[in-house]
Amino acid sequence: MEKENLTMREMDIPLGPDRSKLLGSRAAEVDIIEGDHMILNMGPQHPSTHGVLRFELLTDGEVVVKITPHIGYLHRCFEKIAESIPYNQVIPYTDRLDYLASMNNNLGFALAVEKIMGIEVNERVQTIRVIMAELNRIASHLVSFGTYALDTGAFTPFLYAFRERERIVDLFEDVCGARLLYNYIWIGGLSHDLPPGWVEKCRDFCDYFLPNIDEYNNLYSFNQIFIDRSADIGVMTAKQAIAYGATGPNVRGSGLAWDLRKTEPYSGYENYDFDVCIGTGEKGTVGDCWDRYMVRIREMEQSTRIIRQALDRLPEGDVKEAIPKNFRKIPEGEVYMRTEAPRGELGYYVVSDGKQIPYRVKCRSNCFTSLSAIPEIGVGAMIADIVSILGSIDIVLGEVDR
Amino acid sequence: MRTALKENYFKQIWKGISTTLIGMSVTIGHLFKPSVTLQYPHERWPMPEGARLRIQMDFDECTGCGACARACPVDAIIIEVLKAQAGVDLGETSNGTKKRLHVLKFDVDNAKCIYCGLCIPPCPTGAIHFDLDYEAMKLTRKELIYHFSIMTSDEVETLREADREAKAKAAAAKAQAAAEKAKAAESAPKKPNQSDSSS
Ligand code: SF4
Ligand code: SF4
Repeated sequence: MEKENLTMREMDIPLGPDRSKLLGSRAAEVDIIEGDHMILNMGPQHPSTHGVLRFELLTDGEVVVKITPHIGYLHRCFEKIAESIPYNQVIPYTDRLDYLASMNNNLGFALAVEKIMGIEVNERVQTIRVIMAELNRIASHLVSFGTYALDTGAFTPFLYAFRERERIVDLFEDVCGARLLYNYIWIGGLSHDLPPGWVEKCRDFCDYFLPNIDEYNNLYSFNQIFIDRSADIGVMTAKQAIAYGATGPNVRGSGLAWDLRKTEPYSGYENYDFDVCIGTGEKGTVGDCWDRYMVRIREMEQSTRIIRQALDRLPEGDVKEAIPKNFRKIPEGEVYMRTEAPRGELGYYVVSDGKQIPYRVKCRSNCFTSLSAIPEIGVGAMIADIVSILGSIDIVLGEVDR
Repeated sequence: MRTALKENYFKQIWKGISTTLIGMSVTIGHLFKPSVTLQYPHERWPMPEGARLRIQMDFDECTGCGACARACPVDAIIIEVLKAQAGVDLGETSNGTKKRLHVLKFDVDNAKCIYCGLCIPPCPTGAIHFDLDYEAMKLTRKELIYHFSIMTSDEVETLREADREAKAKAAAAKAQAAAEKAKAAESAPKKPNQSDSSS
């Protein structure tokens, strides 16, 4: 059990063919006997793939020798569509990337365009955005917790997770009228102000939610059967995580305190007091499935902390004052804006050529990069472990395929 | 390989059973708490004020400006308008905006609509809005296209006919004016000559 608390700079990541050195030592453990292998298709309709993802597994008995993910079943041309419609109409499309964290997707795109247009939003808008992003982070981690439990063979936690998520979704519905695809954070502001009484409701939710995290831990996190299924499995070292560009809870699970809310604060995150949770290898090795899972559980606690602080300081203001009347005069320029979505770094690269519609929009997907690490960290695992690894990486196929 | 398996065998069994029992006690505790689910068709939860459920519109309020259709990212709103003839008064909307266009067609394709709500703020009269009915399922896609225009096809035809006539009249008048102008132009060169000679 060796802890790796390295910063990005201290680490030298070999490129090119040297990357093969990074291949986990577990690959060597597998005694590959030619001709004794079998190809197994997992997906695209497999219940554990969280959408439509197909794995082509080369197996040697129960042991997986090679993994080839096949993606693209949900491709919807987000980037191309974004190049054909005005800036404000792109926001509903960003909802549909990672549909479990629409608020965070809205936020990233709105911030990118605001950077191009030089719009400054007021304190109230920033604070509400932080509240929404954190609420959505909790909701997204709850789904991740519930579905990971489903993947590893427990049904009940899923119901608990959705019970709480329902309350968050109700809060969102009160604010913007939608339960899944919010289109709430607009360029330069918000689509609606908070309705009366919402702040109290949100406080109630925080009070109600925190004790439930202990319930999850008792119910599932420290269950020995679950620990056996997740600890020491799918170990992703910090080096591997960086080499593959894994971000969010996946890289933090590997023991690296990399959180854009801390390292490159946006939307006023520098004013909040919260901890970055990292994997500690409590139950096995640093960077195993259990660590990634536990980072999410602990992050929900931190998010609640942020929400409480934000609710306390919520200033007055007009949430629509900076929304541009039209999108005809956009300055030329390009910008890359990255934010910490629940699943990692969500980046938008927007190029403007001065016209009403973007010249180019590129979305840096966090699930896609995390998924690319699976062929490496999954080699040498059992078939059933692949399900566990995939669940712990926590991908949303809508975001992988865009 | 797994550290867990290296530990004592019976300790492992005990840990498995005891942690499962802790989990079960959590679940059993919920037997004595009120249920959180609703029996949907019999019970319903109230919809909040601003719920975005289905596009509706007050046809009388619409001026046919087309702002909503331009704001829609998926082109779910299709509007056809016809300019009112001079002297025809179409009335006003409730907030006093004068109507100048016949709205021949106002279709919202609910199968296309993504319920984003972008069409609501641009409307100058508040004609288009969401309603709170969420049971809008239909058997075919065609039924999902809502036709909000109250004009019958006969009325539309009459209006079109009148418009065509008016246009033809206008064109004729224009042609006549053009012809007169040409005539005037023909006779015009003489005038300067005359004026020249006279001066
Ligand atoms: S809600 Fe959105 S998609 Fe539906 S008609 Fe209005 S603008 Fe179009
Ligand atoms: S924006 Fe309002 S008034 Fe204009 S066409 Fe649409 S519904 Fe009618």
